[in-house]
Amino acid sequence: MSKRIIMDVLKWGSLIAFVVLFLFPFFWIVASSLKSRGEFFTRPPVWFPAHLDWSNYPDSLGRGALKGLTDSFIIAFSSMVISLLLGAPAAYAIARFQVGRENLAFWILSIRMFPPIATILPLFVIFRFVGLVDSYSGLVLSYTVFNLPFAIWILKGFIEDLPREIEEAAKVDGARPFQIFRMIVIPLAAPGLVVAALFTFIFAWNDFAYAVIFSGSKVTPLPVVIAQFAGGHEILWGQISAAAIMAILPALVLATFLQKYLTRGLTMGAVK
Amino acid sequence: MLGKQEKNFARLMVLPAVSLLFLVTIAPLLFSLGVSFTNLQFGSPQPVRWSGLENYLNLVTRDARFLNALWRTLLLVAVGVVTQTVLGYVIASLLFHISRGRTILLSAILIPSVISQVVAGWQGRMIFNASYGPLNDILARFGIKGPAWLASQQTALSSIFLTDTWQWTPFLALIILAALQSQPQDIVEAARLDGASGWSMFRFVTVPLILPVTGIGILLRGVDLFKTFDLVFILTQGGPGNSSETLTFFTYVQGFKFFNPSYASAMSFIQLILVTIAAKAFLSFIRRQRSI
Repeated sequence: MSKRIIMDVLKWGSLIAFVVLFLFPFFWIVASSLKSRGEFFTRPPVWFPAHLDWSNYPDSLGRGALKGLTDSFIIAFSSMVISLLLGAPAAYAIARFQVGRENLAFWILSIRMFPPIATILPLFVIFRFVGLVDSYSGLVLSYTVFNLPFAIWILKGFIEDLPREIEEAAKVDGARPFQIFRMIVIPLAAPGLVVAALFTFIFAWNDFAYAVIFSGSKVTPLPVVIAQFAGGHEILWGQISAAAIMAILPALVLATFLQKYLTRGLTMGAVK
Repeated sequence: MLGKQEKNFARLMVLPAVSLLFLVTIAPLLFSLGVSFTNLQFGSPQPVRWSGLENYLNLVTRDARFLNALWRTLLLVAVGVVTQTVLGYVIASLLFHISRGRTILLSAILIPSVISQVVAGWQGRMIFNASYGPLNDILARFGIKGPAWLASQQTALSSIFLTDTWQWTPFLALIILAALQSQPQDIVEAARLDGASGWSMFRFVTVPLILPVTGIGILLRGVDLFKTFDLVFILTQGGPGNSSETLTFFTYVQGFKFFNPSYASAMSFIQLILVTIAAKAFLSFIRRQRSI
């Protein structure tokens, strides 16, 4: 009995230690976002700000984080819509009609393996030529490189899990293939669509590699704004931390609402 | 089996997605492959000409900075994958063996894996700050003088590794937990009745059972570590010196700082080939393990 209690204490002790370890950096930036100017350069550092100074938030919004939030939202939302609009029909065709057999499916999956720099480099030359650098369309287009394969792959998994009988009954009743897709498959695959939507949104929202190269003075997604803040001559610790917290919020929503599908999304549907 | 009409319908359904993907992946890659066989350099007075395999040969035989970046990246992949898998397994088995609170603990631990790497990088910048950061403050309280972390050649790459491990260990814990939960209980029970326990249970029952699923997580992690760019950009810019420069970051420097797209293209193709070979080899290793 006492051995069990010792084991329990050890288990819970280490779990709590891990939770503290993984959450500590968040505590640190939240505290930093609420510190006032003088509290950043003391030794030892200030762990708890003496009073909560909220001014870093409006200040960082005014210095470009608001534009960053808006741009990130526009780009992530458009990328999500395109991924679903093009991904859902493709996923249905691959899942139910085996188009292209394994090759097409494997090609789509392998795009996920590309080092982004391999596509960024030529895309940059092409985009510069057609005037897509520093534009919303350029970034939305380049995010399809990873979001469209992801959406197809995830939706393919969800559609394969649906019972075929309903579609076959509709076919017997004389429904045309596209009607079956629109009236039966789409509503039934709704959970998959939600998962694909949220993940594609977050991937685009979180991206930095494409964003930093394809953005310019007109389009500045939030991660680029944060990187610019952090690379400047005078590092605005409080303002950057405030912007970083705003960048985290959508991910928190994802983690909370999609608990059940997190494994599936993060492993591209390989683990259900 | 499929009628002609259905086949055409299916082709029509994949056409938009496949054409767009072709446009943004295959076409640029072919373009880039072409460029990698030239001497194209922006702002160079030399006329553009075919140079065959010159870029590739220079990279593999002469460019010490490239070879160092390659070595550094492989080290990061190896150490990162091993550390994160072991830690991930420890966390997953702890979570597996508690009866309540699993969901809430998992949600809390997972937050690092869903945030932007730029934010993770920024957190790293604050934590590793040698003078004003909390890490050296904690070390000092134990009487240890912390290193300069990001500002030292000896510790810059380790700081990137630690940040990445902080961010992605939870991801592996999540996958390994899913693998543990999907072990067929009858096999585990039968092994226990046969007297398996401790190490033999772990080595001959648990590992083979969780390997297929865990392998996918390890593969994804390995590929992503090989592509490490964001953290380098935010944390160190490859410095001090080139001590923390990864392959993708050096490629970026060649392409966008030195305006040398032909050389950078050759570099990115070498990476593409390495990733593909490694991923295929790893997948067949997993498959072989499963069939034993």
